[in-house]
Amino acid sequence: MSTISIPLDTDQFWQAARPLGFALPRCLKCHEFHFYPQPACPFCGSQSLELALTPGEGEVYSFTVVYRAPAESFRADVPYIIAIVRTDAGPHLMTRLCEIAPEDVLIGMRVKVRWKDDQNLPLFEPMQES
Amino acid sequence: MTKANGLGGAAIVGVGHSRLGAVPDMNTLALQYAAAHDALQDAGLTVSDVDGVLTTPIRVENWAMPCGKVAQALGISPRYLATIDLAGASGLAMMHHAAMAILSGQCETVLCIGGQNLLSFSSKGAAVKKLADAGWAHPDFEAPLGPLVPSLYALAAQRHMHEYRTTLEQMAQVAVTLRSHAALNPHAHKQDVLTIADVMKSKIISSPLRLLDCALVSDGAAAFVLTKKERAKDLKKMPIQIAGQGYGHSHTYIGDYREVIRTGAINSGRDAFNMAGLKPADIDIAQLYDCFSITVIIELEDLGFCKKGEGGAYVEGGRISIQGDLPVTTHGGLLSAGHPGLAGGMLHVIEAVRQLRGEAGARQVKNPEAVLVHGNGGIIGLHATSILVRG
Repeated sequence: MSTISIPLDTDQFWQAARPLGFALPRCLKCHEFHFYPQPACPFCGSQSLELALTPGEGEVYSFTVVYRAPAESFRADVPYIIAIVRTDAGPHLMTRLCEIAPEDVLIGMRVKVRWKDDQNLPLFEPMQES
Repeated sequence: MTKANGLGGAAIVGVGHSRLGAVPDMNTLALQYAAAHDALQDAGLTVSDVDGVLTTPIRVENWAMPCGKVAQALGISPRYLATIDLAGASGLAMMHHAAMAILSGQCETVLCIGGQNLLSFSSKGAAVKKLADAGWAHPDFEAPLGPLVPSLYALAAQRHMHEYRTTLEQMAQVAVTLRSHAALNPHAHKQDVLTIADVMKSKIISSPLRLLDCALVSDGAAAFVLTKKERAKDLKKMPIQIAGQGYGHSHTYIGDYREVIRTGAINSGRDAFNMAGLKPADIDIAQLYDCFSITVIIELEDLGFCKKGEGGAYVEGGRISIQGDLPVTTHGGLLSAGHPGLAGGMLHVIEAVRQLRGEAGARQVKNPEAVLVHGNGGIIGLHATSILVRG
């Protein structure tokens, strides 16, 4: 039995998760985080899952700068940075990097979540050196 | 794992394809019809000899059941038919499923066919949008961010460059070498030779990948015919057999996979080599899947031709050219011979057969005995490997 139903599509997922912060699905049995959402834990198969808060921080695992938009709706954004972020909680996810120029992006760079203004869409931005 | 070859009772007896490249005067069904008849003629068979049909989906039209549509167009009433979709590995999967259908006694002679007018079906750029919408990026968590298909492979390339110091020049070398092979292939979509500088000056698409690091978009269709061994002996061409076959799947999407440069090719290659009782050093030609230049480098590593991280250095110094230690993708591949979608990998099978028969003309490798063919689907996650030998 699933303890809660975790939405599998992006709008509904982040709508459910965002009030908690950058929350990701976690298995109540083996305690591993996973993402993207799955109907069961990909590590142990348990359907007992929860949404658990994570710090929303991680590092750039890989990135690409897109110079040719796949559709008209992305044309105004070109060039834009698509990245895979390795979150400190474990899961990797695809995102866009913001608040940084393409030429300044480095693999391994520390980043944190920055929610897109009016959407439930998590982007990532560089963390300030402290 | 037994070394006995369980697939030896079936053989590839005919191969063929339509015109490749820009073929604006033919639609998808016409291209497939031309390829089918080319393969049947090569085998010395007619449609009345065919009792099995395998095909793979197309993108340019909405075909409800491609295997039925193709069988009807060819005038075949099959005892066995299916539409097989392993994305870019579909060609190898069709070949293997045909052999299994024959060996099980379900049918005797199978026509495998695929292809489409991916370049000419609509306006410029339509294919790029079609591919971007085809579900290669996770429809909920990746596609809304705006990746191109090249962006998804660029993420693997950038990580490979970071971990192993693989260079842009090394990736360009793959494109340059395969184009030099296509220059010897009169059927190839692009035959003008390239230099590393040409690749590195070509338009940036999604860093670090440039236009000439990316596969072509082509019109074209391909076909091959398999039949049982006893029948093959009486036909006009040298039968070619599947000595080993393997599959592997490491991930469906690139974004949530935690080791993007270690792929399902590790498992598909292991199983194919084990079944054939061969090792990488025994392979005379590798028809690797080359949707992007980086794909070839990663496959060389994961199939065991070199150590992990050494694929970039491996492609240098002419090693993968027709005269080299391991000729790779000798027809020119998806980067240069043509890429009409899921059927693109069928051309690698056809080239393997032609090389083993000694029919490859100016690009013939001297007396190859074992040819590895590799197919890769999705974002370097779904793999099939075959090892072909003379029957």
